Amino acid sequence: MSITYLEAIREAQAKLLREDDRVFIYGQDVGGTFGGAFKATKGLAMEFPGRVLNTPISEDAIVGTAIGAAMQGMRPIVEMQFADFSSIALNQILNNAGTHYWRTGVPVPITVRLPSGGTKGSGPFHSQSMESLYAHYPGLIVMTPATVEDAYTMLIEAVAIDDPVVYCEHKYLYYHLKADKLPDKGLPTGRARVAREGRDLTIVSYSAMAQESLAAAEELAREGLEVEVVDLRSVKPLDTDTVLASVARTGRLLCVGESFPWGGATAEVIARVISQGFHLLDAAPQRLNAKDTPIPYHPNLWSAHRPNAKNIVAKARALLRE
Amino acid sequence: MPQLGESIAEATIVDIKVKPGDEVVDDQEIIDVETNKAVMGVTTPCKGKIDKITVQLKETYPVGAVLGYIEASEQDAARFAKHAPPPPPQKEVAEEIPARADQEVAPARERKIVARDGEGDRVGGLPVPAITKGATFMSPRVRARMAELQLTTADLAGIMGTGAGNRVTIKDLESFLHKIENQTAHEASKIRAGVADAMRRSWTRPLSTIGSSVNLDPALQDRQSRDPKPGLGLYALRAIALALAENPAAAAKFIGNRVVQSNSIDLGIAVEAEDGIMVPVIRGADKTSLADLTTKYKELVDLARQRRISPDMQAGGIATVSNFGIFGMGWGTPIPLPDQTLLLGLGMGKKVPSWDETKNEFVPKTEAQITLSFDHRSIDGGGASRLLKRVIELLENPKEL
Repeated sequence: MSITYLEAIREAQAKLLREDDRVFIYGQDVGGTFGGAFKATKGLAMEFPGRVLNTPISEDAIVGTAIGAAMQGMRPIVEMQFADFSSIALNQILNNAGTHYWRTGVPVPITVRLPSGGTKGSGPFHSQSMESLYAHYPGLIVMTPATVEDAYTMLIEAVAIDDPVVYCEHKYLYYHLKADKLPDKGLPTGRARVAREGRDLTIVSYSAMAQESLAAAEELAREGLEVEVVDLRSVKPLDTDTVLASVARTGRLLCVGESFPWGGATAEVIARVISQGFHLLDAAPQRLNAKDTPIPYHPNLWSAHRPNAKNIVAKARALLRE
Repeated sequence: MPQLGESIAEATIVDIKVKPGDEVVDDQEIIDVETNKAVMGVTTPCKGKIDKITVQLKETYPVGAVLGYIEASEQDAARFAKHAPPPPPQKEVAEEIPARADQEVAPARERKIVARDGEGDRVGGLPVPAITKGATFMSPRVRARMAELQLTTADLAGIMGTGAGNRVTIKDLESFLHKIENQTAHEASKIRAGVADAMRRSWTRPLSTIGSSVNLDPALQDRQSRDPKPGLGLYALRAIALALAENPAAAAKFIGNRVVQSNSIDLGIAVEAEDGIMVPVIRGADKTSLADLTTKYKELVDLARQRRISPDMQAGGIATVSNFGIFGMGWGTPIPLPDQTLLLGLGMGKKVPSWDETKNEFVPKTEAQITLSFDHRSIDGGGASRLLKRVIELLENPKEL
């Protein structure tokens, strides 16, 4: 039996709806027989009547409603149709949800699911990776699962957490990533995972880029170079300890992320490693992100815009030669 | 034309307040210029007389252009004369956008090695530190490991680096340490570590040695008539003390861009201890008779054996004598102590045939090689030769000692 990343998300939501009366799913086209733009909620509206609700096309209103419900004790899961659209709800997420507990002592336990990342031809408004933007603001948790198992356990954990959680699920991994079965438990959010042990170089990454980094590591292993890959799992909180321990082993650091370079999660990792682990570095740390331009529509331009196994290999090789 | 603002590259002359022949003071506004931001004044660097103004009203000139000339005192001219502006800094555009990983860096972007007049790289008028790559680059990790083990770059000399530009990577360092793990090792004594540190520091200077031969017979004969009998090293010490008293500049130190001379002829004499050399200093050796030197020396040898020569006793000397002849050596190129610039080395005397002009035949002579090692920043071959020649003269005329 094999289960995809998307099916794991659906299973997690089914489990949550089944076991917790406070949970409901709220988003565009999630209800009825349609089951969402990516089928993340397929069948759930029928199985749990009145718990999977369609919304108008207003991200601002969607999140505002969810915040209100959460303040009253419910545990809404908001499905943004595409991560990119969430910018319309920034004020709700960053200011209203993010600061409410700090200002009033009343928690806002909403979970906002963001289908993130690009696929061929998805273009500038259907491809964004917004984890860095949300991580920048205090009061939010930002999850970026890279595996089927983490997609399942971290969504369940997201709903259990009392803080607002931005859950960045990667569209490219939806159907491409498969696992044999779903686990009962996973690492807690805030703990990174050493996805591949290595000796010569550490690649710190998350989400789809963690998978690309693993592919790059396989390629480099053929040349006798052993690359350690650290999957952050959550960008906020960021597991600095695991990253530093890895750099202590290898001495070289490459951070790979799909978001834009300026102030990205990769920059945050490097800033922390330099200030806390300068003496561990045998060469200047490097980062690899999407280009600092809007995401192209044309498939060839899109391919060249983001990091992939091939250019990760090239960057890693250059760093290993320093 | 001064640098008027970060993004300003040029300005227009809008008012010239002086004419040739006018007397001006320091920091006087003499020309008004206009940029797209404001009108600013250009001020004089020093007081003097306007020689000529080379720019015209309403014309635009770039930052760094000459606007005119001021006749000033020699001192002020030397201080304030402007040099040609440095070339604009070159920035690698590719480095600003870290995401362009999959593009090959075009070969055309390779920096050419271009000599530059005047100062080195500047960005916005501030100096840029030397490039941090290449053979001498030590990464933070390498430096941390070196600090942990108290290594110096001298210890790393034996490692061939495999990093960029052949620099030593942490892997190179660790495998080097791994290799020496299998060899017999014991902790160095304090004296050994001290000598190692001193010699390493001394060697950072350009050192050189010149030498000649000296006839030891006169000194050996003089020695017979003395009690207690001074060693030949003490004769040499007395000789260089007097030679330096006549010419103290020969032992001056070069520090920064100054030549620093000592007031007192304080000389060190090398004394071998168990596992290293001690060099106690005899103060005012030119004023100490050979007899007194002999007594003093015996005291110091005893103290050295008891390991009671303190660092204070070894500090402040300007030159040292090393008599390695007692080990049977002919000649050597000893290393001056790090805080001194001269080291006189005396080799073993041998009976050799020497041509005697007056007798027109070879006569037996006790001859030794005598060398003078020197810090070539302080003194040249000529100066060193003259000093050594005088030492030899004095040694061969022991009555003068």
